[in-house]
Amino acid sequence: MSGTLAASGLSVRYETPHGSVHALRHVDIEAHPGEVIGIVGESGCGKSTLVTALANLLPANARIDGAIRYNGVDLAKLDAHRQRLLRGDEIALVGQDPMTAFNPVLTIGDQLVDFQHHRKDLSRTLKRARIAAMLARVGIADAERRMRSYPHELSGGMRQRVAIAAALLTDPGLLIADEPTTALDVTMEAQIIHLLRELRREYNGIVIVVSHHLGVIAELCDRVYVMYAGEVVEGGEVDAIFHDPRHPYTQALLACDPARFHDRLDRLPTIPGSLPSLIQPPPGCVYAPRCGKAFAPCKTIAPPLVKLTACHAARCYVATP
Amino acid sequence: MSPLLAVEDLSVSFGRSSLLDRLINPFPLPGFNVVDDVTLSLMPAETLGLVGESGSGKTTLARTILGLVRAAAGRIVFEGREVATPSDFRAMRRRSAMMFQDPVASLSPRLRVSTLLTEPQVIQGLPMQDRRAAAKALLALVGLPASFVDRFPHELSGGQARRVGVARALAMKPRLLLADEPTAGLDVSVQGDVLNLIGELKRELGFATMIVTHNLAMIRHVSDRLAIMYLGRLVETGPTQEVFSAPLHPYTATLIRSEPIPDPRRRSHNLAITGEIPSVFRRPSGCEFHTRCPLVQSRCKTEAPIYRPMGAGRLVRCHFPLQTGGREREAVSRASANPRGN
Ligand SMILES: Nc1ncnc2c1ncn2[C@@H]1O[C@H](COP(=O)(O)OP(=O)(O)OP(=O)(O)O)[C@@H](O)[C@H]1O
Ligand SMILES: Nc1ncnc2c1ncn2[C@@H]1O[C@H](COP(=O)(O)OP(=O)(O)OP(=O)(O)O)[C@@H](O)[C@H]1O
Ligand code: SF4
Ligand code: SF4
Ligand SMILES: [Mg+2]
Ligand SMILES: [Mg+2]
Repeated sequence: MSGTLAASGLSVRYETPHGSVHALRHVDIEAHPGEVIGIVGESGCGKSTLVTALANLLPANARIDGAIRYNGVDLAKLDAHRQRLLRGDEIALVGQDPMTAFNPVLTIGDQLVDFQHHRKDLSRTLKRARIAAMLARVGIADAERRMRSYPHELSGGMRQRVAIAAALLTDPGLLIADEPTTALDVTMEAQIIHLLRELRREYNGIVIVVSHHLGVIAELCDRVYVMYAGEVVEGGEVDAIFHDPRHPYTQALLACDPARFHDRLDRLPTIPGSLPSLIQPPPGCVYAPRCGKAFAPCKTIAPPLVKLTACHAARCYVATP
Repeated sequence: MSPLLAVEDLSVSFGRSSLLDRLINPFPLPGFNVVDDVTLSLMPAETLGLVGESGSGKTTLARTILGLVRAAAGRIVFEGREVATPSDFRAMRRRSAMMFQDPVASLSPRLRVSTLLTEPQVIQGLPMQDRRAAAKALLALVGLPASFVDRFPHELSGGQARRVGVARALAMKPRLLLADEPTAGLDVSVQGDVLNLIGELKRELGFATMIVTHNLAMIRHVSDRLAIMYLGRLVETGPTQEVFSAPLHPYTATLIRSEPIPDPRRRSHNLAITGEIPSVFRRPSGCEFHTRCPLVQSRCKTEAPIYRPMGAGRLVRCHFPLQTGGREREAVSRASANPRGN
């Protein structure tokens, strides 16, 4: 089973002793069966917050507003039991720090068996066979033996791949992967990208990928959302985002990619300035403090989302269709 | 000039042997070398990039250099003296810093950022007038707001935790910095900030850096030399620019070719490497890359190539190294372009 995912007016704040961190503000995104969605943006802008909210796994100090509908059902309105069922069965999240996803005192094999708890129809032997096959698909050699390893006995990239395998074993309709390839060498990365593409085709499900690796986003995704300081500032088809970016932040981000420079640089390009405080977000455009194109209204009145084409939009005064 | 750090014939082996392990696990695994016979050196103020397969032993090598893992064989020489006893390693660690691969998990969850940042200095016995002020100064250095001193690691985003890791490492004013995937999880702009910062401090303090990374686009700009690892062994070393422009080892060439291009109009619809991925538990015979090498010959399957010099400052472990711009490189492109569909 898989269906459309839509978040509307989604806001998340974290309560801390120093005030509320407004990590996500009025975010609208949607994803359709068969799509691979990419999420990019500055470190700390709320990407993990967004995907953990979609997977219903936010920490206790988080407060959430707005609606998340999956397959026509409002996830926030489900009771705790149904939410858990959905999470084990339909929605899988591969977290950003794979070491924290595993129990350090259980072997990989035992944990992966537990991940399939909803498959009451399968025997333990069958479950172990599925695990071995899935580990091989994510490029882990000698799967039988690796299943007897503890998490600390795997390399960083192996843990990442085991986390991906764990998510895939639940046959999710919605797979969310937060930085799934950071610890993988490029050949392994290519293999994982290939696998995710294949799966999208096989299951006609939704894949949401958060990545800082713009090459991965370009290679894998159909549509991309660009986030900055808790907001989605631009969204569109992958080709439009890479070849016709309209938001000044998107343009600056793409220009910083060291992959664009073949000759050795002494200093890597960066965007001057830093992310604004999320405790007191700027009143106008969130990017105004760093934007080279900012003019008077930018600092005081938040710009509207401008629709550029049927599926390309940017939150900026200077973006025009 | 003599190297700051020299690693000679270093091997590291993991195996289950303790009694407890044997009780828990009825089928103990025999020992296996995850780092095998690695020889490397690092000049003062040099930046070495260590690149290689996932699971090829890079993290283990870095941890062994700092004495966090015991070597099975080989020597480590730091500032001209052999590092052998636990107290030698402690002395070396006081002059070195390590940035760990898992940013959040490597920070103690119960400590606030202020404590995390100044703890190494306290352990090192450096004078500490005002720990909070020092912590705030370090945060500013890595571009984080001062208010973060009171945060716990789980209240940071992945990239923020990584920046705290940089601040922590640099707080020690090290001679040697071992950075394990320092840019994983950082956006390209913050990644630039972190590397420019390491570069500036390096020029100021003159420390040597070993950067373990999968990020080829970045390492090509920031390293002087590259070492490529495969299954626990070095397969190629050389000056960064030369390795990128004319790789000698087929694995290096494949790595460079597989890097996805940030342009959706230039997608590659194939897997650059196909073939069986080997495991340290069962090393392939002959050349260990032969199960995946696009240029494999029959000799490769039986005879292990030695690690030999080729040209100035370059070493390669291959019977048939690629020549600069020659036929063989085209062959790699052709062989690895065998489409597997999309
Ligand atoms: N539990 C928490 N309590 C307080 N603040 C938090 C908490 N978790 C995250 N934050 C803050 O919320 C903001 C968004 O964090 P998030 O992890 O979503 O960012 P991100 O976009 O995933 O960043 P990265 O690319 O670095 O992983 C950050 O400024 C972070 O410091
Ligand atoms: N404590 C341990 N016990 C047993 N095996 C281990 C242990 N630590 C690492 N290994 C094994 O050593 C090998 C090398 O691991 P290492 O973490 O050094 O790889 P790596 O090159 O850093 O990989 P990655 O790029 O994925 O981080 C792997 O096969 C791993 O399973
Ligand atoms: S609205 Fe103004 S400040 Fe914001 S991105 Fe556009 S031009 Fe820049
Ligand atoms: S020795 Fe043979 S199999 Fe090994 S890398 Fe060289 S050509 Fe390939
Ligand atoms: Mg994150
Ligand atoms: Mg590692």
